[in-house]
Amino acid sequence: MATCYKSIHPVKYYRDFLAKGVRPDGRDMQKFRPVSINVDSIKTAEGSAIVKIGNTVVVCGIKAELAAPKAEEPNFGYLVPNVELPPLCSPRFCPGPPSDLAQVSSNFIAETLTSSGCVDLKDLCIAPEHLAWVLHCDLICLDHDGSLWDACVIALVAALRTVKLPHVSYDVEAETTVVSPEKRNKLQVHNTPVATTFAIFDDEILLTDPTNEEESLSSGVMTIVVQGGQLCSVHKPGGSPLTESQLQECINGAMKRAEYINKLVNMTLESLGT
Amino acid sequence: MYKMQIESEEDCLRPMNCQLNVLSRSDGSAMFTQGDTAVVTAVFGPAEVKPQRILIDKASVEALYRPKTGLPRVHDKMRETLIRNTCSTALLVTLHPRTSISIIVQEMQDSGGLLACAVNAACLALINSGIAMKFLVAAVSCMIDHEDNILIDPNSKQLKGSKASLTFVFDSIKKNIMACHTTGRFTQLQYEESLLKCRNGSDKIFSFYREIVRKVHQEHDRMSPTCRT
Repeated sequence: MATCYKSIHPVKYYRDFLAKGVRPDGRDMQKFRPVSINVDSIKTAEGSAIVKIGNTVVVCGIKAELAAPKAEEPNFGYLVPNVELPPLCSPRFCPGPPSDLAQVSSNFIAETLTSSGCVDLKDLCIAPEHLAWVLHCDLICLDHDGSLWDACVIALVAALRTVKLPHVSYDVEAETTVVSPEKRNKLQVHNTPVATTFAIFDDEILLTDPTNEEESLSSGVMTIVVQGGQLCSVHKPGGSPLTESQLQECINGAMKRAEYINKLVNMTLESLGT
Repeated sequence: MYKMQIESEEDCLRPMNCQLNVLSRSDGSAMFTQGDTAVVTAVFGPAEVKPQRILIDKASVEALYRPKTGLPRVHDKMRETLIRNTCSTALLVTLHPRTSISIIVQEMQDSGGLLACAVNAACLALINSGIAMKFLVAAVSCMIDHEDNILIDPNSKQLKGSKASLTFVFDSIKKNIMACHTTGRFTQLQYEESLLKCRNGSDKIFSFYREIVRKVHQEHDRMSPTCRT
């Protein structure tokens, strides 16, 4: 009976639940889903992490490559994030070139990395003008059940913190590169940004950490990235208007969540024993 | 077609200039400049929709952003998403089910504040097209420089010395935040201050819209006097 009602009029189904102050999955409006993190499980990659937020699963793998730095920035290496949303994660993605959401997500992750400054690109430079590290960060979503960007940012930062780059020596005159894979240096990650997504339902109700269903039924979505008490990004791509007090609520919620997630990632990395 | 200019005041927006109905084939169009940043927008709709995009209860809004040179890249996709979502909330989409409304934005010149300019131009083109809207939208950009000063509507020279740049879009009725996009790091206090300054700036844009519409109609009435019975 409930499933019939849900498929005929999903918005009213949600409204009836929200009127009682609870969501269909049992959470209240400000509750987050449980998060599980696993790091360094992919041995073929320089760094990796798998993050699960409720049903959303994102795998991040970081591969390092050697290349010549850009002519305009000879002292900097580069970070190339790429978010892939394969057809297996959700019925709305078809095989073929990256969908709009995948492109916007890649752009968002790239902007978050630059804004937060979590990796100093100067650390990736080996020999100015000649050789630098390029870190390809591939984020693959295996299951899209909402809060995609939250999972992507957590996975990316956790993976970056496990990256160990081999020692490279470059002889400028001879133009030879010697890579010693046994001697490894940990990549320095200066800070840890955390993203939190909110959905605006019916123009009034704010839902934290929405599921895919909630995101599709809501009239607007907003993502806030927090890093060390400062805001890195407040991204609200249209949707219903928000008042200042609602925005304030979201920022406070995002700050609290950042503390919790950072503790969780620190615990996970400590358990690695590195 | 009509053009209108507003002089800028201190600590305020760059001078704005607009021409409506610049394109002959579209339902609505606008050429809008803010300082040296120029954008041309065209609106087509409500028009026939492709079967894969059809929505039974509302119009399917699509936004296309074309950069001045080269093919559209991932950064442009983000602008398209923002413009599309903002406009679909502002338009009365339920009035035109099973149709499509396309908003095409062509960048002419980027001298800072391009996203804000694109959103404002899209709103002007929608006004020109006559499609019913719930409210108008105005976008204002601002930046925070290394001395923590907040500058409204910076040009590209000022942006070179910025540590954060923020773009806000407001609606015309309650001045709530419709959309927001930021780059760089800033504190919550700086965010709130920028929001307040940008909101004050948006008042000027809304009065600019009103002036434009008033003058266009005056011009129209003057050129083709109608007798009403």
